[in-house]
Amino acid sequence: MEIYLFFLFGGIAVVGALAMVFNKNAVHSALFLLLTLVMIAGLYVLLNAQFIAVAQIMVYAGAIVVLILFVVMLLGAELGESIPRWLTLRNSVMVLLALVFLTVSGTAVYDWLYSTQPITGTVTDEVIARQGSVQLVGESLFTQFLLPFELASILLLVGIIGVVVLGGWRLVQHRQRGE
Amino acid sequence: MNTFMLLLPETILLVFAFALLALDLIWKPRSNTLAIIMLTGALVTLAATIFVWMQANNGVIQLAVISTDGAGAVPMLAMDRFAMFFKVYAALTVALVGLLATDYVREKIRYPGEFYALMLFAGLALMLVASSTNLVMIFLAFEFLSITSYLLTGFMRNDAFSIEAALKYFLYGAVASAVMLLGFSLIYGATGSLDLHGIATGIRSSDPSIIHVLAIPAIVLIIVGLGFKIALVPFHQWSPEAYQGAPTPVTAFLSVGPKASGFALMVRVLTVAFPAFARTANTDWVLILTGIAIITMTFGNVVAIWQKNIKRLFAYSSIAQAGYMLIGVIAIAPQFVGGVPPIEGWDQGLNGLLLFLFGYLFTNLGSFAIILAVENKTGSSSVEQFNGLVKRAPYLSIAFVIFLLSLIGIPPTAGFIGKLLVFGAAIKQQMYVLAAIGLFNSVISVYYYLGIARKMFFSPAEDTTPIPVSRSLNFVVTISMVLVLAIAIGAQPFLDWVSGSTQILATVF
Repeated sequence: MEIYLFFLFGGIAVVGALAMVFNKNAVHSALFLLLTLVMIAGLYVLLNAQFIAVAQIMVYAGAIVVLILFVVMLLGAELGESIPRWLTLRNSVMVLLALVFLTVSGTAVYDWLYSTQPITGTVTDEVIARQGSVQLVGESLFTQFLLPFELASILLLVGIIGVVVLGGWRLVQHRQRGE
Repeated sequence: MNTFMLLLPETILLVFAFALLALDLIWKPRSNTLAIIMLTGALVTLAATIFVWMQANNGVIQLAVISTDGAGAVPMLAMDRFAMFFKVYAALTVALVGLLATDYVREKIRYPGEFYALMLFAGLALMLVASSTNLVMIFLAFEFLSITSYLLTGFMRNDAFSIEAALKYFLYGAVASAVMLLGFSLIYGATGSLDLHGIATGIRSSDPSIIHVLAIPAIVLIIVGLGFKIALVPFHQWSPEAYQGAPTPVTAFLSVGPKASGFALMVRVLTVAFPAFARTANTDWVLILTGIAIITMTFGNVVAIWQKNIKRLFAYSSIAQAGYMLIGVIAIAPQFVGGVPPIEGWDQGLNGLLLFLFGYLFTNLGSFAIILAVENKTGSSSVEQFNGLVKRAPYLSIAFVIFLLSLIGIPPTAGFIGKLLVFGAAIKQQMYVLAAIGLFNSVISVYYYLGIARKMFFSPAEDTTPIPVSRSLNFVVTISMVLVLAIAIGAQPFLDWVSGSTQILATVF
């Protein structure tokens, strides 16, 4: 059963990604991106990573694709150029590089799946089934990974300051200082 | 020592940054008041760092939060002497750049509170990068530093150059971060560990015939990410634009802060996690870094000759200097072939790197203080503005000559000691070609560094009115000059300090 679902989700994800790249209409491209992301969320569920699946849908499908759609529509860039002569030297090099990376990551997965080394770690399938993936993620986020978690919150604060400084310049009146 | 005490410098920086933001929001104080708060924060942090450094003097202290269900602690930060060196460096950088920036901020920056708060956040990022030992923490700290740097670069929102610089920096930086993250994910896939020691253990215990298939691409990708931050050729394209477009105090910060933390991370990741790949039969990171160092030195020096803008010239100069520093990283490696415990004198190149960086901090910040003074008066950062500077500002001219000599590496300056140690380590490791190329490049650099000196002393100035120097700039120039000379003349305490800082890396095997 799982293997059929894997090929279903994975296949639709690949088709969606290709459709996104080759579509003339930017809005359609964004929607195909959404399709791909949702399908990848399905793959995460198959991997017993429910939390990541939900986060994927909320963050990528919910926020990022909506943002992309907004930008596309505000700029009025729905209709791009027709598919350009894409078989240039540069694109071929890029495709080649992409294939190299694909091979390397494929090797990683292959190596891991067929290695004789036992899978180490305390979080096994049974533990996930007993406690639930979300609870496990939350627990390690607030215990073992507390320091990076706090750092991420400071990072977000800096991001907000940056938005105010760089983005709010037209709205904010120049503050009158006593000098 | 209490765990929270170990985080004292970071906590102080954070508290002062928040206080600045809050005060700015509530009372809208003058720019100078904010500057004083920021400088107080930086100096208190420096004191706290030295305090922690004296306490945490022996051994590796790993900071970790222990899980309640017994899943084990995951070490995140190392409070070792290597990290403490870079924390002292970070506190000094923030203090000096803050001092350097006061006039500039008062006259040109619209949001002084946010600017100073971001400077403190950048100092925090420098500190965290230096002590991270977990890939998650490393990535977050690194991104933290990058994002604050982008923001500071683009801080002059109404200046098209500043925005262009920030955008270029951001786009290159985003790609570099993504590439580095891919490297992290490969190495995590290969070893199943996020911890640097865990990665080394994982590599040792896996099948040697398979592991390099993943580890070498991972190392290359990580070097790309770090090389971007340090501005090594060919990942340097952002740096001339960013240096030229950024507000000048920020340029001064970019030329010392991120560079040092890039090197800190490079040394820690390569020596702690990948000693097994220092020298192998087919590919290794010593070979990769050697190639990068040669291109970086040569490219930086040759292109610097044609620069007409002083900030751009210093961008290429800092690229070239990074090339020399990289020799220090390369020259440590032959000692740990296959990850065996290192032998005596393995860290001479590393000591050279740290001392080089420390001297470079003062040399560059002093130079930028002078550039700022000239820029404030003339409104331009063209090299021509330095014509006849000796008549307009004799003290600055003499100080600048000392800084330029230090950049070339002529005694008695800090740059000489740094180069001596770094090249000496390369010769000791029988890397004669590398050392020769380094020396040859130093000779090329004489041309453009002394070209500035020639302009200051022998070219007639169009405008001979004296250049006013504020007290803060004068202070930065003086303290930098004193330290540049002190590191060279009284080198022993500094040498002891840096060699004490690198010893800790040897005990991780």
